[in-house]
Amino acid sequence: MALLELKDLNVAFEIPDGEVHAVTKLSFSIDAGDALAIVGESGSGKTQTMMAVMNLLAENGSASGKALFKGEDLMQMNAADLNKRRGKEIAMIFQDPMTSLNPYLRIEQQMIEVVMHHQGLTRAEARAHAIEMLRAVRIPDPERRIRQYPHEYSGGMRQRVMVAMGLLCEPDLLIADEPTTALDVTVQAQISQLMTELRAKSNTAIILITHDLGVVAGLCDRVLVMYAGEAVECGTVEQIFYQPKHPYTKGLLKSVPRLDQPDDSGLEAIPGNPPNLLLLPEGCRFRERCPSAHDACRDTPPMQLDGQGHAWRCFLGPTDE
Amino acid sequence: MTQDSGMLKHTLRRLLGLLPTLLMLITVTFFMMRMAPGGPFDSEKLLPAEIEANLNAKYHLDEPLLRQYFRYMGQIAVLDFGPSFQYKDWSVNELIAQSYPVSLTVGGLAMLLAFVLGTTLGIAAALRQNTRVDYSLMGIAMLGISVPNFVIAPILILLLAVYAGWLPAGGWDWGIASMVLPVVTLALPVTAYIARLTRGSMIEVLHSNFIRTARAKGLPESVVIRRHALKPAILPVISFMGPATAGLISGSVVIERIFSLPGLGSYFVTGALNRDYTLVMGVVIFYGVLIILLNFLVDLIYAWLNPKIRYDEKY
Amino acid sequence: MKPTRQFFVLAVCVPLLSACGSDDGERLPGSLDRHARAVELVVAEDGRPVPWVLAVEQVLHRDNGEEPVTLDPHLAEGTPSAHILRDLFEGLTSESPTGRVIPGAAIRWNISRDGKTYTFYLRREARWSNGDPVTAEDFVYGLRRSASPSTASNFAQVLLPIANAAEVLAGKVPTDQLGVTAINDHILQIQLKGPTPYFLRLLNHSSTYPVHRPSLVKYGSAFSRPGNLVSNGAYILKDWVLRSRIELVKNENYWDAENVIIKQVFYYPFEDQSAASKQFRAGELHWTYGVPNNQFKWLQRHYPDELVISPWAGSYFFGYNVTREPFIENQDLRLALALALDRDLLTEKVTQFGEQPSYALVPPGIGEFVSPQPEWADWTQAERNDEARRLYAEAGYSEDKPLRFEIRYDTGQNNNKKMALAAASLWKQVLGVQATLVNEEGKVFLRNREQMVLTQVFRSGWTSDYADPFGFLELFRTGHGRNYYGYSNALYDSLLDEIASERIPARRRRLMFEAERILLGGLPFIPVYTYVTKRLVSPRLKGWESNIMDHHYSKNMFLLKSVHEGEASAAAVERDEERPAEPEESVTEEVLPTATEEGQANEAPGEHAAATAAPAAEDGQASEDPGEAANSEEVPKSEPEDDGATAPAEAVPAEVEALPAEIVESPQVQSEAPGETGEVPEENDAAGGDSGSGEGFRE
Repeated sequence: MALLELKDLNVAFEIPDGEVHAVTKLSFSIDAGDALAIVGESGSGKTQTMMAVMNLLAENGSASGKALFKGEDLMQMNAADLNKRRGKEIAMIFQDPMTSLNPYLRIEQQMIEVVMHHQGLTRAEARAHAIEMLRAVRIPDPERRIRQYPHEYSGGMRQRVMVAMGLLCEPDLLIADEPTTALDVTVQAQISQLMTELRAKSNTAIILITHDLGVVAGLCDRVLVMYAGEAVECGTVEQIFYQPKHPYTKGLLKSVPRLDQPDDSGLEAIPGNPPNLLLLPEGCRFRERCPSAHDACRDTPPMQLDGQGHAWRCFLGPTDE
Repeated sequence: MTQDSGMLKHTLRRLLGLLPTLLMLITVTFFMMRMAPGGPFDSEKLLPAEIEANLNAKYHLDEPLLRQYFRYMGQIAVLDFGPSFQYKDWSVNELIAQSYPVSLTVGGLAMLLAFVLGTTLGIAAALRQNTRVDYSLMGIAMLGISVPNFVIAPILILLLAVYAGWLPAGGWDWGIASMVLPVVTLALPVTAYIARLTRGSMIEVLHSNFIRTARAKGLPESVVIRRHALKPAILPVISFMGPATAGLISGSVVIERIFSLPGLGSYFVTGALNRDYTLVMGVVIFYGVLIILLNFLVDLIYAWLNPKIRYDEKY
Repeated sequence: MKPTRQFFVLAVCVPLLSACGSDDGERLPGSLDRHARAVELVVAEDGRPVPWVLAVEQVLHRDNGEEPVTLDPHLAEGTPSAHILRDLFEGLTSESPTGRVIPGAAIRWNISRDGKTYTFYLRREARWSNGDPVTAEDFVYGLRRSASPSTASNFAQVLLPIANAAEVLAGKVPTDQLGVTAINDHILQIQLKGPTPYFLRLLNHSSTYPVHRPSLVKYGSAFSRPGNLVSNGAYILKDWVLRSRIELVKNENYWDAENVIIKQVFYYPFEDQSAASKQFRAGELHWTYGVPNNQFKWLQRHYPDELVISPWAGSYFFGYNVTREPFIENQDLRLALALALDRDLLTEKVTQFGEQPSYALVPPGIGEFVSPQPEWADWTQAERNDEARRLYAEAGYSEDKPLRFEIRYDTGQNNNKKMALAAASLWKQVLGVQATLVNEEGKVFLRNREQMVLTQVFRSGWTSDYADPFGFLELFRTGHGRNYYGYSNALYDSLLDEIASERIPARRRRLMFEAERILLGGLPFIPVYTYVTKRLVSPRLKGWESNIMDHHYSKNMFLLKSVHEGEASAAAVERDEERPAEPEESVTEEVLPTATEEGQANEAPGEHAAATAAPAAEDGQASEDPGEAANSEEVPKSEPEDDGATAPAEAVPAEVEALPAEIVESPQVQSEAPGETGEVPEENDAAGGDSGSGEGFRE
């Protein structure tokens, strides 16, 4: 049984101009201990997907479909049951470390409350545990730093605190939303390294949300590519990186600098903008930016499967270029 | 601790910085009072020249203005506000000493009530944002802000004192009963304002990322509100308390009149109308010091609640 | 329950009430209970109320307007201080409830033939509140202090008729030169500059009160604080909580203490009259200082028994500045404006409290003086308007060339603004005048009015400190400090001089009449109306009368039982027939003991009545009256060298000065009332005017 399985997840937001379809009929699953990357441009729905899973959507947002966690549907769960899983079994690291920590509380308070609440630890035990975790994410002098407030930490340090906080209860699933954005490269590497280690140590499944394909390669097994609220391609890291099928994935890959290419000469941006989620076009949502678009793309493209876990939503066949 | 000494230094520096403000206040008030037409002894009744001369001599009003000013500054340096021109049996010190406890009690209780009730209602409305509860609470609050004290007070008096007879219609005996109506009336507009302020800031805080983090931790909503949202939501209220105090003081002038309270506020008005120079000066200085100190206190509380500006801030 | 329903009704109408100060809500039983239902007043033969109608708790709660500025009688100014000081102190003369001059600390007096020497014989039994005797020396000391420049009294002008007072005030001669002498402990002589027919009236003004020298020496300027103040009146200052209350308690050392029924008086300051009227309605006050200007109709409807309106010796008028255009030498124009003012309309619509339209300066009711009335006072308003239009046109004004001027006024508790507005619109309506309203803050207004540089037409008025027309007429004397009108008329001034030295009342009145006639001819002002006093008084509070000076002494008042109390005690009477007096009262009442033991009859006049029945008391009454007993020993042959004025002073019966004289309907007492014994018949301004007012209590 998959650890988390999404079936036909839809996320929409009511705004004065109408309904924004942030995520449309998204289905995927992740097994225990696996690492899945969800990639896509800003606004492709990757963050909102996970927010829906965590029931953290904004007030004007609504989700439908199923999100089965260990076989139980998170979407149908009441607040108390959900709270037993949030933070404990599913932890989430948010993308903006500068604002995601409470500036009015000491780091200590923010860390120990998780374990005290979920594991019933005493304050002292929780504190020891938190210090240990801070040390694990390589915060120097954690005994002192734990008494400090977030504004006394740098951005990278705060992100490490976030990671440490997410791992405190050794969750089964860690959702990391752009954990390394806004960090400089060395810190990025450290954080990635950290998550890899922790994954190995505690068999934590990781969903990594990113638009940065660079971090995906080192950390994840599988990749889900989203575009305009839809999954457009899904496969192993090798399949996505070396045999991308969807023109969007291909475009995405071309726009990322790669260590195996000596210079930036091959970098290309995908022309145009993603479609307006208020007024989604019929047919393929990538059509207007797609170099291979043709008349057939006016219809909704099918999800094609190659039988080896690689899937893509396009009229192009497995061998089409 | 370096933090504490920084704090202390900061406090002292700010306190010293208040002195010029106070000096300016005293000087401007002094000369403005003297510039106002009419004098303390003008009245409808006949005042023969020799009597007026006697009066002026007694109160040193026959001296050059500048000399009066320095005489006055010398006096207040030793905290002697002089005799009242109007209330001849009393010195201004005695008048203020007798009345400020009333004003401070009413003002303080009103502030406390407004704060507790206002934040509670504001939070209640924020948590039920855009529901009927929210709309009706905010509607009432809007009413509370826009309907002035002098309209609310007579209504409350008529209902609760004249007709029901539950509370005294006015007067002051340091009993709870005599405090209820003035305190409630004075607190109402501030409560309403604080409720709206709290609601707004609470809603804003609830949308912030760190609240999302707290929720993602699986904490029950009540803990999220209490531990994570309350303090930041109340900070704007705290900084509002400084100006609100000044508002309460001016509001208390009206309240004291309507409820016949022996507070300080009325001296402001009667003193000014009667050109009771010393009394007006005394009250202005007292209020000035009070407002400055309360604002200062509010700043300290704000700093204490907000770790980011706890020390070494320059403002 | 009934109150619930009414509460609802009121909740509905309250917003309306607060908006315009009137509502249609009913009076509630609550307030009725606390105020209105009093038992019927029964008086004994001596005019005193019989004890069984008196409330057990004789505690009076008076709204006293603003906070009194001082309780030092010589520094006092303003009505609030004056009210309290009248309870605390007693001058040489006092006033009856109707305002007649009666003996005070002096039991009688002689006035010399030239009217310049007054000799006062003090009551031997008069005591300060600490038990010291009140002596002539106390009065000498008090008057000298009052006149002293170092006291800086701003009401010392009351003393100006006394010889050398002006010089003392100006610091030119020492205070011992003031024309006041103690002949012995109980005889005081006052020399006047000139005959001052209203001088006796001045002697119940606080500026002339005696002060207790030892306590003044001991406490200095703090002598008027509670605990320090030694006074000679019916009450002692017990407590003064600034701007909360002033508490007086009965002075057991007062010479007439046994006739003082109210034991405790609370004076409350109110800056806001509507606050006071609300407290009255809540049953917390027996007596208000005034009523809110805009509530007449409502109060009249809902509190007809409590609302008391009575004439007051004051005039409201508009002044002209006759030293400025367009009013210089322009009597016809001044008259035109005066004519066009529809006074009936103004008093009905603007002032609303039954103020009387006025066509002269001196308010009616001051002694026997009757003001001259201009011819047009009898015209209809239409006739007046026609004449006004004619005069207006004659003065050269028309629709194309309207008269323009400013009306200056200050805002206060009065209706000044409404009045100015109404006058301006009447003038516009009738004549087409373009008047601009200028509202000024109180002291600014006073200053501008005095300087006469900006003013054209302005709000004015006068209430005198003593009931004499002279105080009004004087205002228009050339160079007088309060002549804001710039009026100057040599004939008028010389008439004023004559009035000042005239002693024969009838002749003096004629002179005053003539002076006012001249003034009305010159018309430097526009008469509008005569003031009234208006207040709410609990129907349980009796013993006071309306008087034009609005002086009310707590010592004359008493509180009737409420019907509840009455029923309770009536029941007690029925239960316990051999002891008809109320058991509760005999326990609690100390001042008016209800004589449960026979033979104690000397204590209070009415007590016999309480023990048996009202009529049965009369025989014992006359002889046992303590006042008379006291008198027989207190008025000795201390009748010295007085110039010719040797009327039988001893013969003045004690009833005269005792309060009962006022209330009982007894012609004998009335005729002998004021103790003036000089050859020159007393001007009688007050006594004469009030002679018909001893009608006792009407219920």
